[in-house]
Parts: sequence; C-alpha cells; structure tokens
Amino acid sequence: MAFRLNSRRSFALAMLAVSGAAASGQIALAQSAKEPVTLVIANSQWVDALRGKNLWNALLKYKQVAPHVTLEQEAIPSSEFDNKMTTEFGAGLGPDIAMMQEGLFYSIADAGYLVDVSKAVEGVKNLNRTNDNGVINGKRVGVAWQRAVYALIYNKPLLDAAKVKPPSNLDELIAASKAVTAATGAIGFTSRHQIADFGGWFMDFQNWAYGYGVNWVDGKGKLTINTPQAIAAMAAFKKMYDAKIIPIGDTMPTQRTRFKESKVAFSIDNSGGTLNIASGGALAAKDLYAAPLPFEHPGAHQQIFVGVSTHSKKQKAAIEFLAWLVSPDGQQALRDASGPDALATDVPITEAFRAANPWAETFAELAVKSRSTLIPGREVDTGPIMRTVMEALEKVLVAGADPKIALAEAQKQADSKF
Amino acid sequence: MASVASGRSLSRAIAPYAFVLPPVIYLGVFMFGPLGRQIWMSLTNTRIINPNAGRYIGLRNFERLFSDSGFYDSLRITALYAAASVVLGVMAGVISALAINQPFRGRAIVRAILLFGWAAPNVATSLIWLWMYNGQSGVFNDIAMALGLERINWLTSAEMALPSILIVTVWQTAPFVMLVILAALQSTPEEVKEAARIDGADRLNVFRNVTLPHILPSVQLVSLLTAVWAIRRFDIIYLLTGGGPLGSTSTLVVKIRQTAFENYELGMASAYGVIGLVLALLVAAVHFIVERKRAQWMAR
Repeated sequence: MAFRLNSRRSFALAMLAVSGAAASGQIALAQSAKEPVTLVIANSQWVDALRGKNLWNALLKYKQVAPHVTLEQEAIPSSEFDNKMTTEFGAGLGPDIAMMQEGLFYSIADAGYLVDVSKAVEGVKNLNRTNDNGVINGKRVGVAWQRAVYALIYNKPLLDAAKVKPPSNLDELIAASKAVTAATGAIGFTSRHQIADFGGWFMDFQNWAYGYGVNWVDGKGKLTINTPQAIAAMAAFKKMYDAKIIPIGDTMPTQRTRFKESKVAFSIDNSGGTLNIASGGALAAKDLYAAPLPFEHPGAHQQIFVGVSTHSKKQKAAIEFLAWLVSPDGQQALRDASGPDALATDVPITEAFRAANPWAETFAELAVKSRSTLIPGREVDTGPIMRTVMEALEKVLVAGADPKIALAEAQKQADSKF
Repeated sequence: MASVASGRSLSRAIAPYAFVLPPVIYLGVFMFGPLGRQIWMSLTNTRIINPNAGRYIGLRNFERLFSDSGFYDSLRITALYAAASVVLGVMAGVISALAINQPFRGRAIVRAILLFGWAAPNVATSLIWLWMYNGQSGVFNDIAMALGLERINWLTSAEMALPSILIVTVWQTAPFVMLVILAALQSTPEEVKEAARIDGADRLNVFRNVTLPHILPSVQLVSLLTAVWAIRRFDIIYLLTGGGPLGSTSTLVVKIRQTAFENYELGMASAYGVIGLVLALLVAAVHFIVERKRAQWMAR
C-alpha cells in the first residue's frame, strides 16, 4: 500500500520515520511518499566555485533516503539573489525551498511567504541557538542553514616574511599592514569600502560598529545612530581608510581573489568567504590563519536560514527534506561542505579539516559571542536604516565630513523615516 | 459580382487595421499595460515583496518625492548626464563619421574597430572598464604613474566618477551615431557638393551649406535617441559606481532601483518612474516640435 502524506497523522508518522532513520541509520523516509517529486532549491552559494559544488553534493545525499525526490538548483549570484527572490516571491512564484540571508529571510517571512516548518524539527532535541531567529511571531518559519562569523584572517607566510604578529588593535593592524607591504610588496589589508558594495559593506561594517560597542537601537526600540560608540567606530574606519593600506576601488570579489592569490596580508571576512579563499587558490589552506577582530568587543555574523515557500505546491515534501537536513545524517553531510560555519545543530568540524585549515578553529570560538548584522526589532528595516548610516560613513570617507556631524544628520533622517 | 466587389472593398477597409493589430496588441500587452500599472502603483504604498497588497494613498509618494533633496540631486545628475552624453556622444559620432567617410586604405577595418563599442554587451563592457579604472591595477593609473602623476580615483571620488562614466557612455554610443550619420553622409548628393565647389566654396563652406543641412535630421534623431537612452541607462552606471560616491552618479534610474530593491518600496519607485517617463516624453516633445518647425520651414 502506498503511504501518502494526506493527514497530520501520516505526517507525524513520516516524522517518526525520519527520527527512526536518524537513530538507526536505516532508510525509512523513502517509504513516506513514492510519487516522483522535484524540489527547486534556491541559493546564491550554488554558484560559488568549489564550495557550491560541495554543498550541492551534500544535499544530493538526500537521494539515498528519498530516491523519489529530485533536487533542482536555482542558482543566482549573491549580488542579485535578494532582488530575484523578492520579485519571484512577490509574483507568487519562486523556488520550493530557499536559503536566504537573515535580512531577506525576515522580509519574506514578514510578507507571509514562508510556511510553518515546526514539524520538520519536531523531536529534534539538539537544535542550537542559531535557529532562534527562525521563529517569528511564535511560528517557526525557518531553520538555520549556516552561520558565518567574522574574524581577522591573515596570510601567515607574508606576516612571517615581514616579521610581524597578528594585531590586536587598529593601530597594530595599520602598522602590521604597512610593514608587510614594505617587506613583500603585498597589499596590507582589504575591506569593503564603497556604497556600490552596500549590501555587503553594511554587514562588514557591523564588525567595526559592534567592535566599538555600538547598539543601533536602545532598550525601548528607539534608533540610536549618533552615539559616542558609533562616532568612534566611524573615526576608526576612517583612520584605516586614510592609512593607505587598502586598495581603494577594489570590489569584494577582486579583494578575495587577490587574497586567494597570496597578494594580501590581512582581511576581515566571514567563515564562508574564508572557506572560498582557502579553496583552490595560490594561498594554501595551511598558510591561512585567523585571529579575533582587532576590536575591544566581539563582532558580527551572517546567518542564512532555510525556508519553505507558501507558493510551493510540494510543501510536505519540502518539509520532509528540511527534517532530513536537521537530522544527524543531513547535518553531517552539510558539515563536511560547510567549513567551520555553525550549523543548525552542533556538529563538530572533523579533525582532518581542522588539521588542514588552521584558520577554522578561531571562527568556531568567535561564534560563541557574535551578533547578528540585523538590528534587533528592526530586522525588516535594517537595510534602509543602515543605508542612512553607510551614506554618513561615505561622507566621512570621501568628503572628509566630521563623523559626529554626519551621524547627527543620519539620526535626523532615520528619525523622520523609520 | 457585386458581392465579390463588396467583399474586396471590405477586406481593403479591414487590411490596414489587420496590419496594425499585431503591434497594437504587442504595445498594449508589453507597454501600455505595464505603464498603466506603474502609474497606478505610484499612487499606492505597494511593496515589492507583496505587490498585490498595495493600498491607494493618493499623491503621497509624489509629496515625499518632491520634499526629498535627494530627488532633485538625482534629477540634476540625470539632466547633466543626458546632456553631456548627447553633446559628447553626437560630437564624437559625427567626427568619426566624417573621418570614416573619406576613402583611405583599411577603412573597413577601422570602421569595424570603431563599431566595437556599440556591438559589445553593456555588462561585459562595464566590467572591462571597471578593471581599466581599477585604482591598484588598472591601466589608466599605470599610465598616470608612468607619466609621474598621482593615482587617480576614477570611480571612487565624487569629482571623477561622473566624467569616468561619461567616457564609457560616449565610447559606447558614438559608434551608433557614427553609423547613422555615415548613412546620411553617403546619401548626400555629390553633384550639389560639386556645384558648390565650382561656385568657389571651400571645404568648410561645403560642409556648412551642403553636408550639414543634409545630415541635420539624422543628427536630431540620434540626439533624441541618445538623450532618451541616457535618461534610461542603468547597467553601466550601476556596475561602475552603484550611484556613488556621495550620490554623484545617482541618476533617476539608479534611484528607482535603490528604492524598489533595497527599500522594497515599489509604489515610491513607481513615482520615480513616472517622473522619468515625463522627462523622456519632454525630450521627445522638444524633438517633434523642432522637427515640425523644420518641416514647415522647408515647405515654405
């Protein structure tokens, strides 16, 4: 008799089957639905060199559990991902499942386009805190895919050649960068610094902001843009910008390629970006190291959530897939392709990976205290609010404006707009 | 016989409508329909994430728009960019056409090279220029350094960003202008030029009194097209500067993109779009008025 998921009861049975498979290693889910089904999964990471292929191969392991399910990629470059997703979801179309950066995830959830996926995590006892923000208005609409924390990464051979140590504050970073350039000719430091890179820049800048103790909102939910901490963070960024240690005008892909080709000493990047840098370039993974950010306070992380679309006609199959994803088998498959990124459950990185990638350990340690790049309580509006902040920063960098005045203007704008 | 004749006259009467119907349907579905929707959306608070849930808010988007100094900046930048694109693009195109109209060895090869800018896809072109403008490893700064100059922030300084974009724009539009003007030049009657020369006109006078009046309608047409394209141009600007730095390249279209896709305010972005449409229509209206006056003058 064909087992079809037509009722809550049968669905609960399917979930039980998933748990059983997870516990015993047996393949039970395949029995839950035998009709062929194709799930379209959207993710910007599919286009990443090497990492995209590895992540996709990890998901294809689902075939072993559910041979009737065909997984299909919707691969969109990260620069266009948000636009494409919002347009598709808005038009009532789009993928069945999407891996979304936290900001997009909140917007899509806010519009009511994500289904309740609480059944996918029923019985999963070891979900970690990276899943907390997947619950919106009391409803679980997403589970964690990856959390990529930021660190200061460095090219150890270049530092050794210049006889410098990893810096622990901004002045040391500037001095070390200059020393490496003087000794080797390599670029000292790379950092996003242009409004053309806004989407990535504001998230990167949160490391500086949080590093100097910024909270963009107070306890009552009021926006606090022009605080002494924010002024200090902007002044620090300006100091770095003026120190002539970064290649002005380089886009992030160019910066990462330069790092990959062993032409950069330091950068602040997240673990996902670092995994990319460590894969298949001139810089061997064993020569890439990471240190805590050179700031007093902990930095930020980027979080990606997985959600199921309300427009999908295969929601049950999609939720089954999510159930597999958070199961030990799914998590282990994902771990092998995710570098040190935190996953939905605590799956330790393997000894072999740790040994081959000395940078990985630091990221894992920093993940304990990192903060979301989104403004608490203003998640949907974080992008527009941060545009106001970043435009103020741009005035400081390009036009030499006083951070205090630029932020006071930004505060006024934010107060009138949000 | 009578019924056959009336059938023929009926089909003759219908024929023009039948020919016009497909483009009317096409324009209706792909142009006027979306245009109507855009105008309607400009009067709503529609968000891109939920485009069918917008609520009618009257002229509030336009009120916000007209009270925003950023809007006037973008209008000014759009006008400046469009005017400079027309003047420089048309000038470069006309000069190229005049040069290429002269017979010389290798003319076909030179013509092909000059056309490259027009033939290359915009995105590829922009990425190539992005590399050439790169502060660290771009060829322009290599030249500047070789000449003993400082590195120039081509795309990252508020003073240089718009001129840098204009260079790319002119490089791309001038070949099209050249093609159109070349066609006009090659249809200039040789005997009139010859007669002018016999009457003692020098080269400049031949150009001013024979060639120029002949190519003027084409110049007007390409000026109109170049202006409308400049108002609508997005890819080059967005890829090179994203509207920055300090909003120095933030044209109306870049602003529309930012409002729609970063702020998710589709209603507000539509209001920007309506202003862009009015601008393009104004340019077209000026062209048609000038064209009509010219036709009236010619008919006298």
